[in-house]
Amino acid sequence: MCSRFAEPAARAGIVVLVVLALAACSRERRTFHDSPPAASVAAESAKAVRSDSGVSRDGPYGNNAWALSQGKQLFSAFNCVGCHSHGGGGMGPPLMDSAWIYGFEPANIYATIANGRPNGMPAFKSRITPQQTWELVAYVRSMSGQGSKAARTNRSDEMEVRPAEAQTKTEKPVLVTPPPTVTPPAQEGHP
Amino acid sequence: MRPLTRAVTIAAAALACAGCSLHNAQNALDASGPQSARIAGLWWLMLPIAAVVWVIVIAVMLWGAGRKRSVREVMETRGGTEVVANDEARSRRMTRIVAAGAIVTAVILFLMLIADFRVGQALTMAPSTKVVPIKVVGHQFWWEVQYPDSVPNKTVITANEIHIPIGTPVVMELSSPDVIHSFWVPSLTGKKDLLPGYTRSLWFRADTAGVYRGQCAEFCGLEHAKMGVLVIAQKQQDFDAWRAAQLDSATTPSDSLAQHGKAVFLGTTCVMCHAISGTSAGATTGPNLTHLASRSTIAAGTLQNTDANLYAWISDPQRIKPGVLMPATKLDPRDMQALVAYLRHLK
Amino acid sequence: MSALCACALSLNGCGLDVHRTPAGAEGQQPHIVLQTALPPGGTGAQIAAAATAPEDGQWIRPAKDFASSRFSGLNEITTSNVAQLKPAWTFPTGVLRGQEAAPIVVGHMMYVVTAYPNLLYAFDLSKPGASLKWMYNPKPATSSQGEACCDVVNRGASYADGKIIYATLDNNVVAVDAESGKEVWRTKVGDINKGETMTMAPLIVKDRVLVGNSGGEMGVRGWIKGLDLKTGAVKWTAMHTGPDSVVLIGPSFKPFYKKDQGTDLGVKTWPGTTWQIGGGGMWGWISYDPALDLIFYGSSNPGPWNPEQRPGDNKWTSTFFARRPETGEAIWAYQMNPHDLHDYDGVNESILLDIPWHGSKRGILVHPDRNGYMYALDRATGEVLYANPYVHITSSDSVSLKTGELALNPTKEPKMGKIVRDVCPAAPGGKDWQPSAFSPRTGLMYVPHQNLCMDEQPTAVSYISGTPYVGMDVRMKPGMGGNRGFVTAWNPVTGKPVWRISEPFPVWSGALATAGDVVFYGTMEGWFKAVDARTGAPLWKYKTTSGIIGQPVAFRGPDGKEYVAVMSGVGGWSGAIVAGGLDPRDSSAALGFVGAMRDLPRVTPKGGTLYVFSLR
Repeated sequence: MCSRFAEPAARAGIVVLVVLALAACSRERRTFHDSPPAASVAAESAKAVRSDSGVSRDGPYGNNAWALSQGKQLFSAFNCVGCHSHGGGGMGPPLMDSAWIYGFEPANIYATIANGRPNGMPAFKSRITPQQTWELVAYVRSMSGQGSKAARTNRSDEMEVRPAEAQTKTEKPVLVTPPPTVTPPAQEGHP
Repeated sequence: MRPLTRAVTIAAAALACAGCSLHNAQNALDASGPQSARIAGLWWLMLPIAAVVWVIVIAVMLWGAGRKRSVREVMETRGGTEVVANDEARSRRMTRIVAAGAIVTAVILFLMLIADFRVGQALTMAPSTKVVPIKVVGHQFWWEVQYPDSVPNKTVITANEIHIPIGTPVVMELSSPDVIHSFWVPSLTGKKDLLPGYTRSLWFRADTAGVYRGQCAEFCGLEHAKMGVLVIAQKQQDFDAWRAAQLDSATTPSDSLAQHGKAVFLGTTCVMCHAISGTSAGATTGPNLTHLASRSTIAAGTLQNTDANLYAWISDPQRIKPGVLMPATKLDPRDMQALVAYLRHLK
Repeated sequence: MSALCACALSLNGCGLDVHRTPAGAEGQQPHIVLQTALPPGGTGAQIAAAATAPEDGQWIRPAKDFASSRFSGLNEITTSNVAQLKPAWTFPTGVLRGQEAAPIVVGHMMYVVTAYPNLLYAFDLSKPGASLKWMYNPKPATSSQGEACCDVVNRGASYADGKIIYATLDNNVVAVDAESGKEVWRTKVGDINKGETMTMAPLIVKDRVLVGNSGGEMGVRGWIKGLDLKTGAVKWTAMHTGPDSVVLIGPSFKPFYKKDQGTDLGVKTWPGTTWQIGGGGMWGWISYDPALDLIFYGSSNPGPWNPEQRPGDNKWTSTFFARRPETGEAIWAYQMNPHDLHDYDGVNESILLDIPWHGSKRGILVHPDRNGYMYALDRATGEVLYANPYVHITSSDSVSLKTGELALNPTKEPKMGKIVRDVCPAAPGGKDWQPSAFSPRTGLMYVPHQNLCMDEQPTAVSYISGTPYVGMDVRMKPGMGGNRGFVTAWNPVTGKPVWRISEPFPVWSGALATAGDVVFYGTMEGWFKAVDARTGAPLWKYKTTSGIIGQPVAFRGPDGKEYVAVMSGVGGWSGAIVAGGLDPRDSSAALGFVGAMRDLPRVTPKGGTLYVFSLR
């Protein structure tokens, strides 16, 4: 009885271990020589991202610790941090909260980085490779707790100014309207 | 027995020749300055002493191995007072030998300690004369080099190749923004670690003009092995001329191909990480390229600085140095040729 | 008790001896009377005679007069009746970003510039309820919003020659006909693609419109320009870095101190060609002395913030200049913060005063610098008469009156790979842009300012055109005592504070002094307050709909009554957490200001309303 029970359990255990090990492999894989496709950003619209846009739910690197740490480095090296700080925002909007103006799907964020946005976000299409862009996408999403928790970075090299990405609550992303366009009172109107 | 001897002789000769034929070899025994000479001197002091000690120790060990059998014989025939007397005599003799050995060892070690201290003291004592200050920052996986000046505008920034004048001490200020590296140019100086968060200093002097290769000597990541550095020691006037030339901003090329290359440089991935003085490229993530063409190697001593190598390197650095920060840049061949032409123009 | 001790300690640190009066009316906002009591006749300081004019009831430039006194000679509102002050009318502008502008009053008209998109509203004060006469929209480029370091503010317009003139965020200086609201001329003076923006209020001197750029955090190269009042044509440009020829340094240039003397220091004191991206903008205040025919202003911080990437003095950033308004020619300069370590811009206002000094009268300008010292400089020569701390300072020890040098505290010098803690004042300085006022009746300056310290760590930064160029992680926190703001009454003759009001948040609004001996200022919670100019005693307050960071002004309406006007609408660098909707979990957000302002969203929403008050 005991051995008969143990055998399938052991088998299942091995299967689980193998699966976990494989999962761990993907978390740890270092892809120096990868050429992920550029997201098709031409007809991108924040409200109409199809789930079959050729990109998995978390983007190509959403579950890869190496890519996320690379993305974090690039986020500083490419001066993203100058506008968005470490996720809290400044000149640019915050990235660690739940509100997304131009879409929160990986393809939307890719398009934001590649094409820029009208209120000051520059376009980096010609200056950042697709692989780097995807690494940035993965890191930007991890700032609000998206993607695999196990893969998110857990420690900063610099002064601690925010809870680590791995410790950040996973926000439920919501689309917000673009910054309010000003509607000045009509010429004749009066308060 | 004879073929084996012959093979060993041939191998030794081959190694020796290889050692001689290596140009700019990293050789701590080929000292070219007072610091490396002291280190080499220490080596030449310690080598014969250690060799003699080794021979003696091995000899004693073999003798001891030979003695083993006779001791057993003594034990087997043991039984009378004679044996006890023998034992006492033996143990007295042995005590004397061990004591003498310990004293000789202590004396040798102490003498070597003094020699070591004296060398260490000489290496760390700051020079009192005029020095050339140089800032060296170790990055994964390249060396940033700065020559500060009392007039800030005369600061020179370069990478991976350090020019120094002969006969004048250079004082290096070493730091690292990422992981621990170690600066080691064996022909000129001993190692010094670069520690994140600390600034450390190292000084040395080169007395013979020449090109000395150095290497990161502390494992710092995947491409640790390809983190080389060249120290170019030259006559004072050559050094001054080099330094003056490095102060110039990059000029705009006259030929149209290189002009196009400049536009390519400023419009593509290059501009996110590199700086070229006199242009809008001012990034500090990668090496400063203002005078790239004046350097003899690229990718921290990995490749000779030629058109073909530049082309290959820019097209796909990950093939040559996997794990390096620089991404592969996909450009059409004409743009790539223009880019290479521009970079080769940066004398 | 411990808070009181800490506060006393902090002030003792400044070399002051204090005692505290019983808590004010609010209970939690006590004000401190320092032991340097005010003489009944005032301190003897007067507004520089040539730089002021008789009171005409108007307010035609943000600083009121060329001396930048922000003093109104109207005395209908006094310490005894200010408690009856009521809102006369209000106007919601529809723009919900930081409102830093001063309302401008010319004749029977009032003009107000909003934050981006820099709408200009004109109100006819003679009509019931001051009806809106016209609105002018300069339509600035939307992308300019992403280039402004510290909220998309505008500090106001100036009036001259029948035109309202102001600068838009996207670097256009526009002149609008004051009667019709039609654009008279428009001159583009900067490039947003290089990170340049404009937020300052122009000063119009004779037929020159003086403007400068912002962008010390974006790797711009700072300048001040003189435009022709009639046509808008750029008549001269003085750069703040580069060779003497472009800084407009010529034979008349005579800096007082040796450290500021030499040729082409704007190039030699920078490594390589970094002077071309070295910052040193001009987004603050300009004063003008007609007697000497000199304008006075300071240049902003050098870029990047990371000082290790720019060894040298970094001239002429964080420097005070005296120039000829017609030609821009530099007459003297004094660099307050050579090789600035902590973003101490030199752009704060200077108030031109004549004070008794060692038995004779001396023409000085008083400049509260970001580095925490109140500088009194001789207007003619740039000599430092005194430089005394007005906040707790740890970043430096003193200013030498002999050499003009700032003695830095080496333990607070930012170094790569290290965190420097408790640097006081923080990056916005002891005081930021918010302008002080001066009353000739008390002889005191009324200085609204902040009390913040910071931890910082430099990081390597790349210059990438059109992106920020900062290279510093900053985490701000309240200074000693725990309150983040002060209003300090400063005796410009003795160089010592007289009284001081603590505010929980930085006092980011300007101050206004009136002949009724009332001082007005706003708080970031939204209170508009009136206090006694002699004692600092609270007299009146009114809660507006949003935090106040604007500049209060006083004017005489067409009905002959005295009015006080201010814009309400939180934002600016300090209020970016509300105006920009920033995340309080990241204390480095808004260049580290969010670390000190986490609780602001709980006390004020966004806003953008003009308030005008009067006695009923």
